[in-house]
Amino acid sequence: MKTPGHRPFSLSRVAAITGNTFTELVRLKIFYFLLLFALLLIGNSAFMASLSFQQEFQVLKDVSLGAMSIFTSLLAIVATAQLLPRDVEDRTIYTILAKPVRRYEYLLGKLAGVLLLLAISLLAMSALFLAVLFIREHMLINATLRETAGLRPAQVQEAVRSLQASAFNANLLPGIVIIYLKASLLASLTLFISTFATSNIFTIVVMVFIYFIGHLQSTAREYWLQQHGGGWLAKTFVALVTLAFPDLQLFNLIDDIVAGTAIPMAFFAQTAVLGCVYTSIYFFFAWVAFHGKEL
Amino acid sequence: MIEPAVSVQNLTKIFPIPFRRTKLVAVRGLNLEVASGQVYGLLGPNGSGKSTTLKIILGLISPTTGGSKIFGRDSREVRSREAVGFLPENPYFYKYLTGEETLRFYGKLCGIRGHELRTRTDELLDLVGLRDARARRLGGYSKGMLQRIGLAQALVQEPKLLVLDEPTAGVDPAGSSEIRDLILDLKRRGITVLLSSHLLAQVQEICDRVGILAHGVLVREGRVEDLLAIENQTELILENATPELLAQITTLLGRSNARLVAQRQPQTTLERLFLEATSAPPHQE
Repeated sequence: MKTPGHRPFSLSRVAAITGNTFTELVRLKIFYFLLLFALLLIGNSAFMASLSFQQEFQVLKDVSLGAMSIFTSLLAIVATAQLLPRDVEDRTIYTILAKPVRRYEYLLGKLAGVLLLLAISLLAMSALFLAVLFIREHMLINATLRETAGLRPAQVQEAVRSLQASAFNANLLPGIVIIYLKASLLASLTLFISTFATSNIFTIVVMVFIYFIGHLQSTAREYWLQQHGGGWLAKTFVALVTLAFPDLQLFNLIDDIVAGTAIPMAFFAQTAVLGCVYTSIYFFFAWVAFHGKEL
Repeated sequence: MIEPAVSVQNLTKIFPIPFRRTKLVAVRGLNLEVASGQVYGLLGPNGSGKSTTLKIILGLISPTTGGSKIFGRDSREVRSREAVGFLPENPYFYKYLTGEETLRFYGKLCGIRGHELRTRTDELLDLVGLRDARARRLGGYSKGMLQRIGLAQALVQEPKLLVLDEPTAGVDPAGSSEIRDLILDLKRRGITVLLSSHLLAQVQEICDRVGILAHGVLVREGRVEDLLAIENQTELILENATPELLAQITTLLGRSNARLVAQRQPQTTLERLFLEATSAPPHQE
């Protein structure tokens, strides 16, 4: 049989591992958590009858985006943590690396499989969220039209415009992209931890710690710099801490979106680049740790 | 000069033991050569260094000193694995994949795709007798079926060398016999096979050459016939010999310097007896 000459990097080898990882996660029925998300949205709607429409949309966005952020982060950690240990335990890793597959291709395929799963999950949650938002918006518009039937057209238009402005705003989409980048970063960091962890429970526990430290560190950092001044030693220490524990608060735009504050394009781009850089650095660390690992 | 399929030179592998000052010497100064087209058996008790040696040959772990080559290419080079198929001991594979999907996945890793991959998958499923189970997930496969799909994935890119770590471990005699027949079939096709096992009877039956490892050291090595032959003895197996003929032979022996060591009826092997007893169709009531 003629097989193509060996190349240092093959997209088809990576794609085969990506597809297989994605299939593995899908067949583990990991998508069931989407049902939980749907229930949360429906349950949430039941409590909003007594709220004004501005409050209702704020709560809907807050709960939905918050749940999307937590679910994707959790999914990124739990799905990635078990990939490597399971392959080692079942010895399937031997059969893969005994083929002409480079270790970085294997790792990249695994990470890409998780990222694909995260993308599809987030797309499904976003579609569900936007659908609920759209339906509620139209229900409220119809109700407003009924209530304002006797008013002048200008007043009716103003009421509808105000309602529409509270429902959908353009900030939602960059907000969802940033949620995805945060989950990607966490998946890459989890992959790195799992290259030397002794079990997937250990990886998950470490990642939960990192998740909380990552969200709290910006407050702690400001306090610490105030106490110790801004000397180079202090700044170096802070930079090292920031590398080990990513500042996840930077990826939290939910409060701005709920408050309706505009997210500047430059800020979005900066945050997106930071997310990609973090993801790449942790992937590089994972490769360094896995490159010479005795299997 | 023909390149050997596997050549191991002065190989030593030492594992540090975490939190202790001692080290474990898994393989010590091993020299080994497997000629192209041979079936080579690596024997030894548990912990003798067989699996470690195989993993070094496959580039899965690095030697402490020395090295190994596959068809002249250093085992640490990823390219050396183009010519190798590997079946680890007790593999599980991805149980959420069907037999067919498993072979397609491994085929893609070797750069095979499209029509060629479909044809190859069909050929291999036929070869290992799993055509009827192609659409079943591996989670529902028996131990013997898993070994056979494992053998098929190892053969997916038509390797010149097949490395099998305990290929019949945990498989019943019928499955074990099928795997043995497959190995002999591969040998006829010119594929070199390097296997580790502690099923000595089976190794004796299929291997051209064996190496025996003990405590990481190669203590015996050579052709099976040479290693097993007792040079000053001769075996005669007679069929339909009358008591008179046997008496004449005994008389002749008495007149010579030769000594009759044993006289007995040859026995079948327990494996053959088991296979004959279990291969018949069940009785109809």
